[in-house]
Amino acid sequence: MNAQLAAALAAEEAAIYAYGTLGVKLTGTGDRTEARAAEAVHRDRRDVLVARLAELRTTPAPAPAGYRLPFEITGRESALKLAIQVEDGVAQAWRAVLPVTEGADRATALSALIDSAVRATRWRRLGSVTPATIPWPGRP
Amino acid sequence: MVLTDRVDRRQLLGAAAGTAVAASTLAGCGLFDDDPDPAPQPDALQPLLDEALRLAAAYDRVAVAQPGLRKRLSPLAEDHRAHAAALAALIGVTLPSAAASAAPGGDAAQTVAALRKAEQAAQKTAVAACRTAPAQRVALVGSIAAARAAHAEALR
Repeated sequence: MNAQLAAALAAEEAAIYAYGTLGVKLTGTGDRTEARAAEAVHRDRRDVLVARLAELRTTPAPAPAGYRLPFEITGRESALKLAIQVEDGVAQAWRAVLPVTEGADRATALSALIDSAVRATRWRRLGSVTPATIPWPGRP
Repeated sequence: MVLTDRVDRRQLLGAAAGTAVAASTLAGCGLFDDDPDPAPQPDALQPLLDEALRLAAAYDRVAVAQPGLRKRLSPLAEDHRAHAAALAALIGVTLPSAAASAAPGGDAAQTVAALRKAEQAAQKTAVAACRTAPAQRVALVGSIAAARAAHAEALR
């Protein structure tokens, strides 16, 4: 379970970084509000994971000082594309936590998977990407 | 010696299980006529499968009644059909052939709202199933719960 939780932490850290970078390319109020809310959620979840891993006496690898984005963020379109990719990646990390957990840990993982799937759909709608849903959120 | 002990215990357990299976097989053969065969326990994921089929059919009906919504709704129906197929394979049942039933009319907003409500209810079923699902099934169930939540979002 620890390895999967550490991977979820890495995904959340990457998401926080990505939202920081893509957020500045968004100018519309709706986009910006959504990006800020998403970033806050990922920060909260990162904190929950850090606390849980400490409880489990696991020291995950420190977050890298910098990230290489999969593509350059040049404007709204690429910013939204990255936001979708980020949420899909976070969903994948949390889905992998499900089989190795039970009870409260599994519930946390499921909430995170659901939240990321919903956010990805919201970004697809904002970016007019169709279809707005995918059949298997979190499946790599 | 510890290892040998363990093997012995496993063999014993195996033998005990074998006896239990043999006993139930005998019962199934009708040796005990006053003890009718109990109906086989439905799979824990059967309600999820039924719901996926019902939702797919509901989308189909709305799309027939209101062709203007077809483009928006048909990917969601396809998602449910994909879920149903995967669940049927997992449970080991054959899917009934799809039959589009009569289409109710109605105003678009109202129908979409009804579909959204149905997705939210279906999400709850999947979340509950996820809580108790064994490790080898839970990822699939989790994705279905997430897809249903995303559908509700897409219908906002």
